[in-house]
Amino acid sequence: MITCLGDVFFPEVGTAMVRLLRRLGVEVGFPEAQTCCGMPLFNSGYHHDAAQVAARTVKLFEGFPHVVVPSGSCAWMVKTEYPGLLRGDPGLRAAAESLARRTHELSQFIVDVLGVTTIDSPFVGTVTYHDSCHLLRGLGESRAPRTLLHSVRGVELVELPGADQCCGFGGSFSVRLPEVSTAILDRKLGNVEATGARCLVACDAGCLMQMGGGLTRRGSRVKAVHLAQVLAGEVDA
Amino acid sequence: MTARAEFLDRIRREVARTPGLFGAATAPRPAQPAAAAETVRRELAERWPQALDRFRLEFERVAGVFHRVADLGAVPDILVRIARERGAGRFVTWDPGVLGFDAAPVLTREGLTVVAARAGQEDEASRQRHRADAAAAQIGVTGADLVLAETGTLVLLSGSGRPRSTSLLPDVHVAVFGRDRLVETLEQVGIVLESLHVDPPRSMSGAMINFITGPSRTADIELTLTRGVHGPKEVHAIFVEAP
Amino acid sequence: MSDAALRVPFPERAGAALKDAFLQEALTIATTKFIDLRKESFAGFPQGEALRDRARAIKEATLQHLDTHLERLADNVERVGGTVHWATSADEAREIVLRLCRDRGVRMAVKSKSMATEEIDLNEALEHAGVTPVETDLGEYIIQLAHEKPSHIIAPAIHKTKGQVAELFSRELHGEFPADPEILTAVARRALREKFLQADMGITGANFAVADTGTIVLVTNEGNGRMVTSLPRIHVALMGIEKVIPSMTDLMVFLAILARSATGQKLSSYTTLVRGPRRPGELEGPEELHLVLLDNGRSRQIASTLREALYCLRCGACLNVCPVYRQIGGHAYGHTYPGPIGILLTAMLKGDRSVRDLAHASSLCGACKDVCPVRIDIPRMLIELREHLDREKIAPWTERAVFRLFRRLLLSPAAFRLSVRAGRWLQRPFVHAGRLRGLPLLFGSWTRTRDLPAVASRTFREQWKDLR
Repeated sequence: MITCLGDVFFPEVGTAMVRLLRRLGVEVGFPEAQTCCGMPLFNSGYHHDAAQVAARTVKLFEGFPHVVVPSGSCAWMVKTEYPGLLRGDPGLRAAAESLARRTHELSQFIVDVLGVTTIDSPFVGTVTYHDSCHLLRGLGESRAPRTLLHSVRGVELVELPGADQCCGFGGSFSVRLPEVSTAILDRKLGNVEATGARCLVACDAGCLMQMGGGLTRRGSRVKAVHLAQVLAGEVDA
Repeated sequence: MTARAEFLDRIRREVARTPGLFGAATAPRPAQPAAAAETVRRELAERWPQALDRFRLEFERVAGVFHRVADLGAVPDILVRIARERGAGRFVTWDPGVLGFDAAPVLTREGLTVVAARAGQEDEASRQRHRADAAAAQIGVTGADLVLAETGTLVLLSGSGRPRSTSLLPDVHVAVFGRDRLVETLEQVGIVLESLHVDPPRSMSGAMINFITGPSRTADIELTLTRGVHGPKEVHAIFVEAP
Repeated sequence: MSDAALRVPFPERAGAALKDAFLQEALTIATTKFIDLRKESFAGFPQGEALRDRARAIKEATLQHLDTHLERLADNVERVGGTVHWATSADEAREIVLRLCRDRGVRMAVKSKSMATEEIDLNEALEHAGVTPVETDLGEYIIQLAHEKPSHIIAPAIHKTKGQVAELFSRELHGEFPADPEILTAVARRALREKFLQADMGITGANFAVADTGTIVLVTNEGNGRMVTSLPRIHVALMGIEKVIPSMTDLMVFLAILARSATGQKLSSYTTLVRGPRRPGELEGPEELHLVLLDNGRSRQIASTLREALYCLRCGACLNVCPVYRQIGGHAYGHTYPGPIGILLTAMLKGDRSVRDLAHASSLCGACKDVCPVRIDIPRMLIELREHLDREKIAPWTERAVFRLFRRLLLSPAAFRLSVRAGRWLQRPFVHAGRLRGLPLLFGSWTRTRDLPAVASRTFREQWKDLR
């Protein structure tokens, strides 16, 4: 599951993920009719609409033993919210529960499903890691990404102060309340720059859009990249 | 104004409309509170040294000042010292009958003034007089009905001969207690409170129970901690060894 | 907040807060300290997690028989000589207190901190009736002098720096006081001690009320809670109906986690259990005790999606960790209760329409749920609130139209691909080095402060055929 933001704005994350997974011996498929998990609709309260998108998505991914998502929030949406959204139809609900079980965020897939904790990547540099809210609190995951980052020989991982604090994206929040969103972002980027890291790593396109957009706007040396890019060694200098 | 029946009916209707979010139970109460309280007392009779150590640790953590004396006879000297160190001269105390000792002889001999509440004197004149005395006092001396080790807390019951203001109005509060008051956990306090409320007339002559954990404090200005806002600035606990 | 102030749209109120340098400094100091204190407290408290589960269960179990528990509470309060009043609305609650003041010749009332009394605007009503209300909690005293409302559930003056407090005291109390919290506290102690001793009435809220025994429980730190319930001749306690709990045993579960969640203390300095007016054998204590039970929209939530909000202990932990609250403070929310739980409580008390904007004052990060002692799932309920706003057509029709359109795109891969191609074409004037700047309309609110990545020249889907 490539995610809407990943498909349209960060295809390099998707391609890095595919190459990474193949290197780990995984056969990767891609149902081309996919668009989005529907979370923006759900979070803004348009549940009837979100349910329609969920119903479609659930059918699209039938039959795949595993569905890997380079996004904590989309994985959370599918795993936690799809069954409830589709509770009105027993068939769809069962399909949603099946999809929920088979869906994994990328770092969780690598560590928990593949059992891999060491990645051989050519990447070299200091990085700092931001805990995306839905991966951290929704899926309870903070160790897998750090384990994988630590395992790359060339990586020096510096802990980000306030790593667990929101970056201010929050989906439509970022444009409904842009000033507040930016103030929250500024606090986050202040912490990021204080680490002296060259790269800011996250597992969510929304966070990367927000934090990356702030970093380039302020002319920062720090580059916002996705975990997949670091692990695949596909980060531009 | 809404009548009680109408008010409760509305709630009843709403409660009936939903079975609730999940099956949930309240905390299990002791079936025999008095027996359970007795069990707590017996257990603590053995463990009082550990409980005392833990109390001292927690009490000092909340800025309490801890003292230890061999017997009740030694308490007044501590009180004198506390007064001298602070240049204070006026005491208010609980009824000596409640405290188990009378500090007046020693304190007055040292030139300090003592006013003691008297159980049984609760007429209007006494009330006014006591209010004035308590407001003017600098040091208040009480007992403690329970002493909670895990948080460094003194639990005081109000009542006859044990006014509320003694531990509230003066700048310094001193509580005197023995080993039989110590309990270790908040849960045990709950058990004792359950047993107290089963037989209110006998065990509680007052309407108020105060848990006191250190001096009065606030952090309302920039979260900077200051002590002695409205209540005492200092709390002392004097442990009397003799059982 | 006044209705005039509420007419300023929320985004503007938030914007003004962001530009207030004093506020920003005060908020950062206070919320950071609160966060650290709570974290440290729970780190050394392994039983904490299980206790939070138990506390949540007790709240839920109590709600399932709320009428029965309130009935028992009332019976037991009356048995020990107290009087119980039943206030369906804020109006009724105010009227009950005012009538008491009239009938008993009350001229001055000392108050210990009570958000419930803020909720019903009691002070204003008392003043109009010629009764002087004196706030005695230091934070409340400060904002009363400043003619402001509380900006935090437990630390009402947290939006003020010590410099501002010193200036305020110097002006209102006719003195010259330095920006030293110790000195300022001593000033308040002196000023208020006389009030406690002279007041006719003491007014409090209630953190809990134990149904089994008829006990009202106050959790405080300053000592004013004890003063106002022991010195004046009348004590009035105003309490939301959801504060009742069944037993003393239940109470201990809450006491174990409340202060830790609020301030990082194991217990607050004072936990006061009030069981009726003074007894015959007591020298001190009020002659009369009145418990005013307040509904004001609470019972309506028992069967609604906001039910969990009734568990709230008013500890303020969710405010301290909320990225939005930390940036804008409490006043910008515009209602009595700010922060994450405040949005839910405002909807509860004033209806869905009142949170048309506030329901979106959250990035749904979940930090609030993480720290709530009774594990209220605030993000979920915010999403439910947003769902109400759509269903009840309270959300602007323009917004609803945009999202309906968005759904169409998501249901049709062809439409999705078409909109990507359109985006690629439309963005051309705005692309600089692979990033978008200066976008118009809604997107402008992003690009004013942040770059946006350009629509990729080849989306992942378009690259897939090369990848496979």
